[in-house]
Amino acid sequence: MSAHGQIPILRIGPTLLVSIQIELRDAVAEAFQADVLSAIEERGTTGLVVDISGLEMVDTYVARILAETGRMAKLMGTRTVLVGMRPEVAATLIRMGYGMEGVRTELDLDAGLALFGHIIPQK
Amino acid sequence: MDHRKYMTILKLDEAAIASRRAFFSLSEDDLARLASLRPLAERITDAIVEEFYALLLSHPDTRKFFGDEATIRRVKRTQREYFIGLFSGRCDTAYVEDRLRVGAMHERIGLAPTWYLGAYRQYLQLIREHFDVEIKDPVAAREGFFSVQRIVFFDVALAIDTYIAANLEALGRHQAAIRELSTPVIRVHDRVLLLPLVGAVDSHRAQQIMESVLVHVVDAQARCIIIDIAGVPVVDTRVADHLLKTAAAVRLLGAQVVLTGITAQVARTMVQLGLDVSSMHTLSRLSEGIELALGMVGKSITTRPT
Repeated sequence: MSAHGQIPILRIGPTLLVSIQIELRDAVAEAFQADVLSAIEERGTTGLVVDISGLEMVDTYVARILAETGRMAKLMGTRTVLVGMRPEVAATLIRMGYGMEGVRTELDLDAGLALFGHIIPQK
Repeated sequence: MDHRKYMTILKLDEAAIASRRAFFSLSEDDLARLASLRPLAERITDAIVEEFYALLLSHPDTRKFFGDEATIRRVKRTQREYFIGLFSGRCDTAYVEDRLRVGAMHERIGLAPTWYLGAYRQYLQLIREHFDVEIKDPVAAREGFFSVQRIVFFDVALAIDTYIAANLEALGRHQAAIRELSTPVIRVHDRVLLLPLVGAVDSHRAQQIMESVLVHVVDAQARCIIIDIAGVPVVDTRVADHLLKTAAAVRLLGAQVVLTGITAQVARTMVQLGLDVSSMHTLSRLSEGIELALGMVGKSITTRPT
């Protein structure tokens, strides 16, 4: 099975939404990056929301892939926001000296989508 | 605490029990001798238990552990079982477990080792006296007593270990409570948290602070956490570094840190040490920090017209 398409990319208007639920191993990570970039290329996209609440572990490789993807998207005129990082993941990244500077972060999907004007009415 | 837990804490597996037995010179011969003395033990148990409790009940510090007559009857019965147990001819895991249960029970009622040890002294003396009377051959009486002495000391060691283990366990719980108290994260408002830090911040505590802050931020879905350092006596390079790391981790979650309680002294130190804390919002007063944080969640404090 090809590594492409393993992580589905959803489109909400000009915003792309990606929820990473599986471990980002080499081939999958590279395919993810390529898929996201071609999705941006395909249609006018202004925002990219990457939800990582499903990831229990993020190593520097994955962190680098995520940060890089954000920078690449930026070059194509798309802002990226990373949402839903778990506390233990944040603590580990900081311990490894990887603060992912330059990457926008938000608590959850609501906040990430709100950044691009998708306001979800609250109860 | 359950006596089985003590088995684990004291690591009393078969090898450890064998090692203890070897050190206390408690051999198979001793156990066989004790087993052969069992009929005698059953004959003298009532007398020994009565004399034993006569001492315990005559001393004010031990008297208070035995309330009413019913309690005394109950503990005397337990004591008889304990005494006969010495002559079971066994010293296996089940025996040790049983002894730990006794030790744990004494620890629970707060009977200090002093009284425990003193009571054992009396116990041994009573056994010696009864052996001298009951066993005609003085050599056999002496041998029998030595075997009793070995198993009694084996028991005493278990009891003392139980005391120490119980106290260490309590100490561990208190340390955990103090750790918990050292990072009291308070909810100021929806999605706004406050952590007032009091006391010195070492690396160990800094680690806990970071973990606690991150977990609370996610749990409360907080936009902002105010860390007030007015109660931290010394803010040096290391403390500042810990705070910066916490702020960086909080940012990864999508929230922000507002640092308040920066006194003139701390501000001076930070600049003189060349510490760059520009990645955090810093303010001198907590009230200003609360206003800033509320602003981040779209709230503000206003004065009511009078």
